[in-house]
Amino acid sequence: MKKAIIGLAVLSSVAALTTGCGSSNSNENAASGNTASTNAGATNGSDEKFTIRLADGSPGDEVLSVWNKVKDMYEKAHPNVTVEFVLQDPQLYQTMGLPSLLNGENAPDIYFEWAGDRLKTRVHDGFAADLTSYLEQDGLKGKFSEGNFVGMVYDNKKYMIPTDSQVTNVIWYNKKIFSKVGITQPPTTWDEFMADCEKLKAANYIPITTGNKDLWTAGNWNAHLISRVVGEQAYADAMELKSPFNTPEFAKAMSYMKQLWDNKYINDSVNGINDDEGAALFFNERAAMYPSGGWFVSGAKDKAPDMEYDYFNLPTMPDGKGDQGSVIGVLEGYVVNKNSKHIGAAVDYLKVLESPEVVTMLSQAGSSMIAPGSEPETDPTILKLKDMMDNTKSVVSPPDTGYNLEVADALNSATAEVLGGVSTPEQALAKLDAKVAPLKK
Amino acid sequence: MHKFRLSPYLFTAPAVLLFSFTILLPIVMTFFFSFYDWNGFGTMKFIGFDNYVRAFHDHIYLLSYWHILIYIILTIFLEVFAGLFLAGLITVKLKGTSLFRVAFFTPVMLPMLVTSFMWRFVYNSDFGLLNAVLKFLHLDSWTNVWLGNPHTALYALCIVSGWSYAGFYMTIFYAGIQRIPNDIYESAYLDGATERDIFFKIKIPMIKNLVEVALTLCILGGFQGFDLFYVMTNGGPYNATEIVTTYLVKVVFTNGSIGYGSALAVVMTLVVVGVGVVLNMLKRNGNETLEY
Repeated sequence: MKKAIIGLAVLSSVAALTTGCGSSNSNENAASGNTASTNAGATNGSDEKFTIRLADGSPGDEVLSVWNKVKDMYEKAHPNVTVEFVLQDPQLYQTMGLPSLLNGENAPDIYFEWAGDRLKTRVHDGFAADLTSYLEQDGLKGKFSEGNFVGMVYDNKKYMIPTDSQVTNVIWYNKKIFSKVGITQPPTTWDEFMADCEKLKAANYIPITTGNKDLWTAGNWNAHLISRVVGEQAYADAMELKSPFNTPEFAKAMSYMKQLWDNKYINDSVNGINDDEGAALFFNERAAMYPSGGWFVSGAKDKAPDMEYDYFNLPTMPDGKGDQGSVIGVLEGYVVNKNSKHIGAAVDYLKVLESPEVVTMLSQAGSSMIAPGSEPETDPTILKLKDMMDNTKSVVSPPDTGYNLEVADALNSATAEVLGGVSTPEQALAKLDAKVAPLKK
Repeated sequence: MHKFRLSPYLFTAPAVLLFSFTILLPIVMTFFFSFYDWNGFGTMKFIGFDNYVRAFHDHIYLLSYWHILIYIILTIFLEVFAGLFLAGLITVKLKGTSLFRVAFFTPVMLPMLVTSFMWRFVYNSDFGLLNAVLKFLHLDSWTNVWLGNPHTALYALCIVSGWSYAGFYMTIFYAGIQRIPNDIYESAYLDGATERDIFFKIKIPMIKNLVEVALTLCILGGFQGFDLFYVMTNGGPYNATEIVTTYLVKVVFTNGSIGYGSALAVVMTLVVVGVGVVLNMLKRNGNETLEY
């Protein structure tokens, strides 16, 4: 009897707590994002009131204001539907944030994702709905070319609605400094690049600045360089642990990073400062070049509006086995959760997001949208980047969005060691292979 | 016969349940996860002790304990002994010591995040205060990439920690020293004791218990350090400032390896408990406190 009473008391307390946790959980999820709710009557043939939840990393204020407009447009057309944004810190979203949301009680109906290995994992884990037939519907049909679906198709099924393509690394340069030291054309080969670095160094400029404290900045750049030297397939095979990293080809690729350090062509603080601090050296004209992605354009508008800059893609590598015109970048888009009860409504929402008016608004806010807008893009740098991405034969996936995060981290750490002059390419690659060995199961 | 009463159980139930759900359950779950290969979602694969074997072969993980050891040893000097020294100074009967008391305590009031960002500026090799001062003094050869050089980064962090916490320990010791009756000092002065004698032969022995508490806090706190390391270097450069907590965050939140991260956390818990037990034993063995 005594045990039964204690057991009953404990059980009822547990039940009460569990119920409490459950309900508080749903509130917590709603509170974690910028939630805005408006309910209205039904007009789309069904009176059922429901909510579509969209998860993404927090965008800038300008993009967020466009999103709120899209939400208002959609809710006006579908008064029975409430759209709710669940926004997280981008770094958190990219790592554990999204998986936690997908496994939570109120999983999002739509979520942002990068094409490639990450999407493949979502498909494998049952969190991505097959959107092939929806992409043939009005509002989406004809908006995208087949090339826009690279990394989004598995077993001949399309699992993502593409939104934007992002070049994740080119080399930005200060036109004024280049002309001051007598560089008339951006380099097209590695040797020309090194010669230009020498000229800049001689003129007391830091030739290249990078803030690699968080490892992805130089990691991204070097991954592209590696793919150019060893070939895209060899790079992908190593990243997928199908072949070792410590090979003469990889060592040769890594030796180019060593060359930058040995010749003092890169800031000596490279691994001690973050990306913003690295960019500051470029913006205040102490450094002449800054390897970064397409997002640099919006940052430069804010921080150095008067700066005259341009970019060049990674120069061709001597005896490179890869495509010397390749671009490192990612395709991004929205996935509809396979477990959502409102897949049709979620796709309808994405149709509004991909409408020409919204695409134009998003482009003006700095997004590099794929779908055609109502007004043509006018920023010459964005157009040039878009053109480069559209016309390349090979798009190389960055380590941290295209592959296993542990492997990416190990490669990025090896890059940092070589770029900072503390390890030879062979030492760094041997360490890298040892680090990823437990992952080969 | 003892009569069973329900009310004590009901009164304690909320506290017991709260403890179970917030402390006990996470510990048990962490231990449970440590035997699985799991990324936080998807399928959990039982792999026995593989995560533990991997942990004991993980060079960075083992190195992070070495870094904690260096950090603890240095912070004992820069925080506890420096705090003791400062407490000795501000309790000397001189005018204006209260001003120094406030000045030394001010860094304690700053959140560690603020302190870390501020010192990141001080150490920045391109725009930072420290290198600028050195250059101003024509000591260019002394300038360094303080946080980007694996030989200086950890020491640079220890200095920040000392700057921040020395005032905290100073306050603890100051409170203890204030409790020492004045007649003891007066007798000492009559016997011809100097301030130095009073500090080493009266003040320190009489606050020995507080020094022991401070040492325990400093040693066990060394294992809990995170914010300072995370903001200033995030374990870099080249893992030269990697400590267990920063590495755990990378393994769990960046790499998404919950199973392996759980094993690392279990090992760390055992290490901290072990250190705590040893400290307790040492404390019991040398329990000779001066009464006053």
